Amino acid sequence: MRRYETVFIVNPELSEEQRQPLFDKLNGLISGDGCMLVKFDEWGPKKLAYEIKRHARGYYVLMDFCGDGSLVREIERNMRLDDRVLKYMTVLQDTAVDIEAVKDEIEAAKEQESKSEPAEQAIGESTEKEESGLTGTVGAPASETKAPENTPETREQEEQEHGTI
Amino acid sequence: MAQFKRKRRLFRRRKICRFCADSSLAIDYKDPRTLRFFTTERGKIIPRRVSGNCAKHQRQLTTAIKRARTIALMPYAATLSHY
Ligand SMILES: [Zn+2]
Repeated sequence: MRRYETVFIVNPELSEEQRQPLFDKLNGLISGDGCMLVKFDEWGPKKLAYEIKRHARGYYVLMDFCGDGSLVREIERNMRLDDRVLKYMTVLQDTAVDIEAVKDEIEAAKEQESKSEPAEQAIGESTEKEESGLTGTVGAPASETKAPENTPETREQEEQEHGTI
Repeated sequence: MAQFKRKRRLFRRRKICRFCADSSLAIDYKDPRTLRFFTTERGKIIPRRVSGNCAKHQRQLTTAIKRARTIALMPYAATLSHY
């Protein structure tokens, strides 16, 4: 069995009640024989690096699952036909996974979650900060902060070229 | 002028692969904050002759940046607002 990871972007204008049927449908596809959902992680709304179907923002979801090629084909077919999904990408994580090991991993993740409730909040805050940072990707402030890091290297580069001449 | 140049070259810092030096720094397409460090403001991938990355990590980095572009976490080409 193989392990895959699918990131997909859902129309951000949908409400939670409108999103849920889509998520249920996708989860239903993975619930069959010979496949297993490892993680269904909603990253939430994020700014897109470029417009997709005239949307500047998107609701990101990460799906981590085990299965085979036919399952991926089925999931991608559903996403392609569904216009609630703006874009998707599936990445192969592992070609041969041990089901028991993955089950243990899921259990461990669940335990961690229930144990570290207060820590969870801190994580949530940091991701929020990350998101505001991401918003700056296209804007000018981010490029300004990046510039000092970049200049010594380019200067170095220029000089190297001088040297070879 | 020539003297100034020689001086600069003497003080040139040795380039090292950031990922070899810091094993906790992971290359992941889901982490555009780290990847952005290795692209120009316009979103182009910085060559390893400039960044100093080793071949192995540059290869992984390129794949990760291209994946991040595919799912709109990073731009293919950023248009700078002040241009
Ligand atoms: Zn390296």
